[in-house]
Amino acid sequence: MSTTTTTTTLPPEFQDNLESIRIMGFWVFLTTDLVLFGSLFAVYVVFRSRVGLGPTPHQLFSMGPVLTETLILLTSSFTCSLSLYSARKNRVKGAISWLVVTLALGMSFVLLEIREFTTDVLNGHTWHQSAFLSGFFTLVGTHGSHVTVGIGWAIMLAIQLGMKGLTLTTRRKLYAFALYWHFLDIVWIFLFTVVYLSGIA
Amino acid sequence: MDHEDRQPHRIPTGHGDEVELAIFSPKMHQTHFPSLQITGYLLSIILTLLAFGMVAYHWMPMASLIPVILILAFIQAGLQLGIFMHLREGRGTTWQIPVLALAVSIGLGIVGFSIWIMMFKSGVS
Amino acid sequence: MDIKLWTLHLLKVLFPPQVLLPDIVAIDIGLTVATIVIGAYLTKTRKWGWLWHEWLTTVDHKKIGIMYLIAALIMLFRGGVDALMIRSQLIAPNAHFMGAQQYDEVFTTHGTVMIFFMAMPMIFALFNATIPLMIGARDVAFPRLNAISFWLFAFGAILLNISFSIGGSPSAGWMSYPPYSELLYNPGVGENYFLLSLQIAGIGTIATGINFLVTILRMRAPGMSLSKMPIFVWASLITSSLVLFAFPPLTVALGLTMLDRVFGASFFTLGHQGMPMMYVNLFWIFGHPEVYILVMPAFGVFSEVVPTFSRKALFGYEAMVGSLLAISFLSYGTWVHHFFEMGAGPTVNVFFGLSTMLIAIPTGVKMFNWIFTMWGGRIRLTVPMLWQLAFIPTFVVGGATGIMLAAVPGDYQYHNSYFLIAHFHNVILGGTVFGVLSGMYYWWPKMFGWNLNQRQGTWAFALFVGGFWLTFMPQYFLGFEGMTRRMATYPAGLGWTALNVWSTVGAFVMGAGFVVMVYNILWSRMHPDWDTTGDPWDGRTLEWSLPSPAPEYNFARIPVVRSRDEWWSMKQEGRTDEVKTSEATVRPIHMPRNTPMPIMLAAAFFVGAIGLIFGWFWMAILGGVGVVAALAYGSFADYSEIEIDAKKVLKTEAQLGRVES
Repeated sequence: MSTTTTTTTLPPEFQDNLESIRIMGFWVFLTTDLVLFGSLFAVYVVFRSRVGLGPTPHQLFSMGPVLTETLILLTSSFTCSLSLYSARKNRVKGAISWLVVTLALGMSFVLLEIREFTTDVLNGHTWHQSAFLSGFFTLVGTHGSHVTVGIGWAIMLAIQLGMKGLTLTTRRKLYAFALYWHFLDIVWIFLFTVVYLSGIA
Repeated sequence: MDHEDRQPHRIPTGHGDEVELAIFSPKMHQTHFPSLQITGYLLSIILTLLAFGMVAYHWMPMASLIPVILILAFIQAGLQLGIFMHLREGRGTTWQIPVLALAVSIGLGIVGFSIWIMMFKSGVS
Repeated sequence: MDIKLWTLHLLKVLFPPQVLLPDIVAIDIGLTVATIVIGAYLTKTRKWGWLWHEWLTTVDHKKIGIMYLIAALIMLFRGGVDALMIRSQLIAPNAHFMGAQQYDEVFTTHGTVMIFFMAMPMIFALFNATIPLMIGARDVAFPRLNAISFWLFAFGAILLNISFSIGGSPSAGWMSYPPYSELLYNPGVGENYFLLSLQIAGIGTIATGINFLVTILRMRAPGMSLSKMPIFVWASLITSSLVLFAFPPLTVALGLTMLDRVFGASFFTLGHQGMPMMYVNLFWIFGHPEVYILVMPAFGVFSEVVPTFSRKALFGYEAMVGSLLAISFLSYGTWVHHFFEMGAGPTVNVFFGLSTMLIAIPTGVKMFNWIFTMWGGRIRLTVPMLWQLAFIPTFVVGGATGIMLAAVPGDYQYHNSYFLIAHFHNVILGGTVFGVLSGMYYWWPKMFGWNLNQRQGTWAFALFVGGFWLTFMPQYFLGFEGMTRRMATYPAGLGWTALNVWSTVGAFVMGAGFVVMVYNILWSRMHPDWDTTGDPWDGRTLEWSLPSPAPEYNFARIPVVRSRDEWWSMKQEGRTDEVKTSEATVRPIHMPRNTPMPIMLAAAFFVGAIGLIFGWFWMAILGGVGVVAALAYGSFADYSEIEIDAKKVLKTEAQLGRVES
């Protein structure tokens, strides 16, 4: 029913040399972002036990909402890949629809995260309270703000796909957005493991 | 192509299309049914739940638990890169692979070395 | 009444006592007058349109390179004046030419300006001016991003430079260590200026790194494989990769300090279990690769200058590339040598001490290769070559004292003394500054179309280098005598006075060298020695195959590269006609169109930064909205291009004598 073949024909995103160079540039940007997150992870890991009078990770985290957030983000990563898949099949409507699903999932992820943060702050656990909380809110918040930026980007991209259809440029933009979104998914996998799972273990 | 002709500063300058290092030659995937994506999705869900289950139900002692869930995370990251991010696609040399490898090693180095340095207890002080 | 109180409050925030010192007020008046005069001149000669269309909105890498160069020279002046103020204060014991606070502000500004707003743009000036020409490309990979980088740098520089007259300068040193840089100990807006200006310039720098990495990897002329790239291109490639991974930790370090100061987080505070040493760790994860970011391009420049002026191919090309790669790799693993005294423990210190010493090996390889290139060559002592010759002993002394500092027990003695000051000025001035000045004199005719007067250039060189040695050699001994860095003044009778006098005299000689250099540039502009050949030095690489300055599209015909020093081979083998175009082969050329988006985007960043600096959150949000608007505008606007039609290309090339009959 399905076949995976490796061919040397170029996918549409790479047919124009300059657009393929832009994709390369976006990859390079992602690597710098990776090192940025690496530095934040370093800060978090070093500060993890510096809880002062505030809560420990174990006291702070509740796994239910976090697992939901994870599943939502994984699903959005999947729908994002379907958007690109549809674009490669030249189905512009499919591409837009899957993109809209992706950004809706992204929004619900961000809302859940905001709710988690609000609960913590209302319980008196602001980032002023300890180095650990500062590290936690900044690391997770940086990821959350990346997702928020991604949502804004997806909205503009969906509009452009609607206006212009699948051109060399919009195809490249969709490809770059997909890279960005999956990259955030990878970062979240590590957040989930290093921050939350290790925190309650 | 007409488009390329219109854009002479887009003239393929030789190294747009040349593979300079054989190990970084591009591989494209084309599927008729998004089976690859679905497989990737299912695997990532399974890996996530597996890691979660290990922690929630204390399947192993702490000392080995953290390394194991970290390994699961790396496997999942590899899946995302290979399946969803089309890591090996490109035109000419896939330069993203060495650049990414460098970034990963530096990112890990920053985390690992920072822990080591900021422990303040290597050797006898 | 409310408004009156509010205005008084605002004036107090904008003009605290520290910016109302008579000398600062005098400079303010001078700057205001200068701005009015320049504005009036532009209005009178109707040059605003020219400024906007030709420069402020340009995406041409050659023009961006020139703007970087001008900005860097202005910043060299600013940082140099700061240095002279520092040296004036230290000429005699118990001098109080400046108060301690002002002294702190001056050395902080000196360091920050010199590293981030002089050395970095000077390097990017050379990248922009030469890289596309050397690899046979018509522009960089992302021309608009290139303009964004420049304007982010420019607005970052403006931000830091207005701090001394509005709100107060930072005073925590260029490394800005907490807890002193935290709000509790350092109230006021100075430190915020530091954090935000570096953050904005840093974003631009990362973008430049991405841009040149991709340009070099993907835009080379056909035939120019990795092993045929000029060494300056290699050095730029490796510098770009260092920028990519060194700047994010700086972004994090600065960002977290800002969160502490402006939003009340507890990262590097003393209370709430914050950990100031983590800032130091992050800062030097950036800081050590940064010094190699500064020096690699200088290595690259010398690797072009030496073969050209020795009329020999570079000795040991592969070893040069290998040593560049080795240095860049090792440079990521040495950062703890900046804080051995933190007490991370002997194992950590020994590891990082050894990794530091290892770097001397590939650097030594490079030194020998340059010398062997000169060996048996026909050397011409032009100004760029003179800078290179001065570089070798200066950098070797800097390197040798670096090895002394890398020895952990020794470092406990030397650290933060004038020995350290002398060491890093030896490598940063002797390496980077000599290098970029050599590059500036070397590529000046290519950038501007006229050459700099060599005799005046030699004078500037002699004064600068002589002054340099006179300034910094005594400082090694001051370090041995126990003088620590950042002392605002010192008592008499410690045996420091004579050495300090020599050092100050040397600094003023260097200042004179800079003045002669500026005179050199202005005089040569008035009495231009036009470069009509495009190849004034009998060069070896592709940029010399082009006319000076290169037409906006650089290459009418993209060359096919067959050897390492392609232009030299063309000249030797009589293939120089290969760069000419003809009626049959000429094609229309598409170039990116100028756009106001980069300057608008950077201005929005500037507005947002001012908001964060003064804690005016409405203004920060306004800036954020501006950034989003500029990005959206950039996304929706077609990335449209202008067409230079074939006839026009042919006409331009014909005027330059580059059309085959």
